[in-house]
Amino acid sequence: MESVECIVVGGGLAGLSAAYGLAEAGLEVMVLERGDYSGAKNVTGGRLYVKPIRGFYPELWDEAPFERPVARELVTMMADGAHTTVEIASDRFLEGGPQSYTVVRAKLDQWLADKVMEKGAMVVPNMKVDELLRKDGRVIGIRAGGDEIGADVVVVAEGVLRLLSSAAGLAAQPQPRHHALGYKEVIELPAGVIEDRWHLNPGEGAAQLFMGDCTRGMMGGAFLYTNKESIALGMVVGMEDMRRRRDGTESWQLLDAFKELPQIRPLIAGGTAAEYSAHAVPEGGITQVPRLAGDGYVVAGDTAGLSFNALVTVRGMDFAVASGYYAAEAIKKAKAAGDCSAAGLASYEQSLRSSFVLRDLETARNIPGVMENPRLFTHYPAAVGRLLESVYTVGEQPQAGLVKKAWNGVRRDFLSLATLRDAWSMRKI
Amino acid sequence: MDIVVCVKTNPDLELVRVKDRVAQTEGVPYKIGDLEKNALEAAVTLRESGAASNVTALCVAEGNRKAAEDIKVALAMGADEAVVIDDPALAEPDQAAVAAVIAAAVRKLSACDLLLFGEGSSDNYTGQVGARVAELLDLPQIGYARTVEAEGDVVRCERSMDDVIETVQAPLPAAVTVVSEVNEPRIPGLMQIMKAKSKPLQVWSLADLDIEAPVPVREIESNLAEEQDRKHIVFEGTAAEQAEAFVDALIREGVLGR
Ligand SMILES: Cc1cc2nc3c(=O)[nH]c(=O)nc-3n(C[C@H](O)[C@H](O)[C@H](O)COP(=O)(O)OP(=O)(O)OC[C@H]3O[C@@H](n4cnc5c(N)ncnc54)[C@H](O)[C@@H]3O)c2cc1C
Repeated sequence: MESVECIVVGGGLAGLSAAYGLAEAGLEVMVLERGDYSGAKNVTGGRLYVKPIRGFYPELWDEAPFERPVARELVTMMADGAHTTVEIASDRFLEGGPQSYTVVRAKLDQWLADKVMEKGAMVVPNMKVDELLRKDGRVIGIRAGGDEIGADVVVVAEGVLRLLSSAAGLAAQPQPRHHALGYKEVIELPAGVIEDRWHLNPGEGAAQLFMGDCTRGMMGGAFLYTNKESIALGMVVGMEDMRRRRDGTESWQLLDAFKELPQIRPLIAGGTAAEYSAHAVPEGGITQVPRLAGDGYVVAGDTAGLSFNALVTVRGMDFAVASGYYAAEAIKKAKAAGDCSAAGLASYEQSLRSSFVLRDLETARNIPGVMENPRLFTHYPAAVGRLLESVYTVGEQPQAGLVKKAWNGVRRDFLSLATLRDAWSMRKI
Repeated sequence: MDIVVCVKTNPDLELVRVKDRVAQTEGVPYKIGDLEKNALEAAVTLRESGAASNVTALCVAEGNRKAAEDIKVALAMGADEAVVIDDPALAEPDQAAVAAVIAAAVRKLSACDLLLFGEGSSDNYTGQVGARVAELLDLPQIGYARTVEAEGDVVRCERSMDDVIETVQAPLPAAVTVVSEVNEPRIPGLMQIMKAKSKPLQVWSLADLDIEAPVPVREIESNLAEEQDRKHIVFEGTAAEQAEAFVDALIREGVLGR
């Protein structure tokens, strides 16, 4: 069997980050990507939090083809036709370099693939890996089409579905209840229109998340990110909730209905839909992280379940880059020691445990459980809307005092046993 | 017998979107054109059958920054070596310039008995380059070839014409431009792609060919009719009334009854 030192399965952010570090160290690396090019099949919201990853490959990020630094954060709670938006536009979001950028994966991943090739790795697009080859419990290479190629180490970064890794017994088969369905439209609008509609300085960007009846009570929400000359508008909905619904609601209908809302329509008016995509999102949290390394392999990125949705911050890409980086570090060590067994690769898990990756996932351990509470997506957005709507209403009848209105709302919707119970369950998030 | 296959790369047309009537090619990866793949397959088949000994893929980058990377697909498909001609002066050459560059490159290559082209490129399909190169090198040319056989010092092809098939023979060296019926190009496997990595690949500039930079491309005036907005006139009433109102409107517009 022909062989190389390292094979990376999947040319997404996790796989490419691993390949970059390996190639930089002079190892022989081959990245196999089933899409027409890196980025072709990758879906994100999305925005990349760069602060956690700036230290890895620092030469890269200053020239990365990001879209807009996020200067304004908006969260909208919506129910019964009332939208309540909280907007945070803090100088701190941009100080010392922006904390996050909106990104277009087709551009970002393709650029990173070029960087990886410049470092001497081979990136082979249009190449679907069909099987991880195992021998005596060790991963020894891959099969793609009719060809089998061996490797000292295989980096499995095939994304969320884990088709290869679960077939090879490296990770459990993904379950619907640990995943959400994410889908979005890219709608083109001129840069100036985007800046006007979201009150942005030229070049700056906004991120807006929506919670409430856009998902009709199901776990999830809608998102909107401003790119340079387009916006990404989409939804993330819990697969289990979607599956249990059984009323024939299709995911795309939710997005279509959302776009037709009088509060949303003017935001996208005049735009041209350029793209539609859908993808699974891992939301199981740390309990769904498989064994990270074994004899002859490591798993990284979404395949390793390294992603989470904490309602207002959605993260996965920064974890993908970090896990790729640490995978490369561990493999370099293992290769230098001539030991690519589980023991030789053990520093991978150690690094992830002591870095933000597994620590943030550990901190977020209880979020998936809390997110299963439907009141989060029904009661609270409605209650906030009712309360503020009453405060802002002037009708024909004499009005109650401001404080009285507010107090009525609080008493009606927030002072209940259920709310106390919810608050108690949220104490650990 | 040595074969040189001229290969153009162009933005992957399946990924090009049109916005405001302009093709958006930014960020779209390039790939080898479809008919060029047929030409490569024909060349490799001839070599595999023993009729040819060496296949060189020759590519004028034409502004594709990554031509030297993209041409590796030709090596994976079975070409023995590749030559890319990349020069800032060749960012947007016209067909005459491309033909001049190819002719110079073929002269520089030590041996070429059969020169293969696709009948036209996947993006512009002007179908000029093969014929122009044949003229510049004073070679016989066979166009629209749906078969390519070489034997001794002749090449024999069936030509796909509208209602007849011609069988034509030419003495070597010769140029042949092929159509898609000629074969089904292979999709190289991973092993072939890996092996391609170690095959010889040279990148030449215009200076290496000792020819002058082509004269920059001239602007062509568009002869497309001016775009007009729809008028959004809705005619109501009976069919007869609608027809009448419609004809009146056409006359008012000067479309009828001039
Ligand atoms: C709608 C949505 C919104 C999101 N929003 C955000 C956000 O705002 N911020 C954030 O940080 N994260 C977000 N995420 C999560 C983030 O996109 C992922 O965590 C990230 O893309 C994971 O990267 P990866 O490299 O592990 O996987 P992917 O990007 O999925 O890469 C896997 C690659 O492997 C390839 N592949 C798969 N199988 C094979 C095979 N058999 N052979 C060869 N190649 C194969 C695929 O083609 C793909 O290119 C979002 C996700 C979704 C779906």
